[in-house]
Amino acid sequence: MNNFRLLFLTGLLFLVFESVAQTFVTRNGTIRFFSEAPLENIEAVNRQVSSALDAETGEFVFRVVMRSFSFEKSLMQQHFNDNFVESHKYPNATFEGQIIEIGQIDFNSSGEYEVAVEGDLTIKDTTHFISEQGVLRINGDTVKGESQFVIRPEDYNITIPSRFARNIAQEIEVTVNVNLTRQ
Amino acid sequence: MKTWLKFIIAIALLILAAGVLVYIFVYNKPHKDYERASPDVELTAEELYMAFKSDREDAESLYNGKVLQLTGEVDDVEKVDDMVIAVFAFSEGFFGLEGVRCTMLENHHEKALSLQTGDSVTIKGFCAGFSDSDVIMEYCSFP
Repeated sequence: MNNFRLLFLTGLLFLVFESVAQTFVTRNGTIRFFSEAPLENIEAVNRQVSSALDAETGEFVFRVVMRSFSFEKSLMQQHFNDNFVESHKYPNATFEGQIIEIGQIDFNSSGEYEVAVEGDLTIKDTTHFISEQGVLRINGDTVKGESQFVIRPEDYNITIPSRFARNIAQEIEVTVNVNLTRQ
Repeated sequence: MKTWLKFIIAIALLILAAGVLVYIFVYNKPHKDYERASPDVELTAEELYMAFKSDREDAESLYNGKVLQLTGEVDDVEKVDDMVIAVFAFSEGFFGLEGVRCTMLENHHEKALSLQTGDSVTIKGFCAGFSDSDVIMEYCSFP
């Protein structure tokens, strides 16, 4: 991540932090991805995802340390880090976006809301605007957020060599689960 | 049995054995045993955190993907679902206390949970990277 993006993300997080009473955060969010291909299914999980939601503005961010993804098979983990996402060059992924129409959500009473989330997803320094659906479940001082969507590795500069074409899907299912606590 | 048939059977068995070996040692090779791994670098938790705060790119090239053995005084031990995380804190930031977060291997949960704030510990683990607020250590154990 270049310095400008880092500065921007830090600034965004600072802005979110400023509205203390309505900020929800976690450092143990979960992101899973699942690839279904003819030869094998591959699943990985990362349980060290930092995430923040500003309940007033709807700003929502998460950041991921790529080497924290854990795979069932060691070889898959090695290929993921060394060949596909190149964790040594691009150690982090981020999402910076917004929950649409956040004003319609009452964060002071329990409830479940279907929401639209949109913003910039950056993997391997390649950014794409995504717009997805999700669910927010509010219960006291916690907000559980969940979203499931599909990304294409090639959109994020992830090249799958032809010898892995039957091992790795062209579309990867991503599931985000964050259990945010009021700051 | 004819010689050529014996030869073909021998070749077939060799290919089968090679396939089994590739499956066991390459495709299905076990994850690295971080509990037994020798540390690549030994330093204090504070030195590690300050390295990332002062020159992130340099620290990433030095420590990411390495087995580190850290010493320091533990500030907190968090239990999140089935994870136990030992925390060395060095500043107050966006997420509260920020520093080095060590996710402990399951057989070290009990000892980690018995730690008190200020206890001096040595923890070994895999440095996954920096999340902008914390250094993330995985597969951690007490050596």
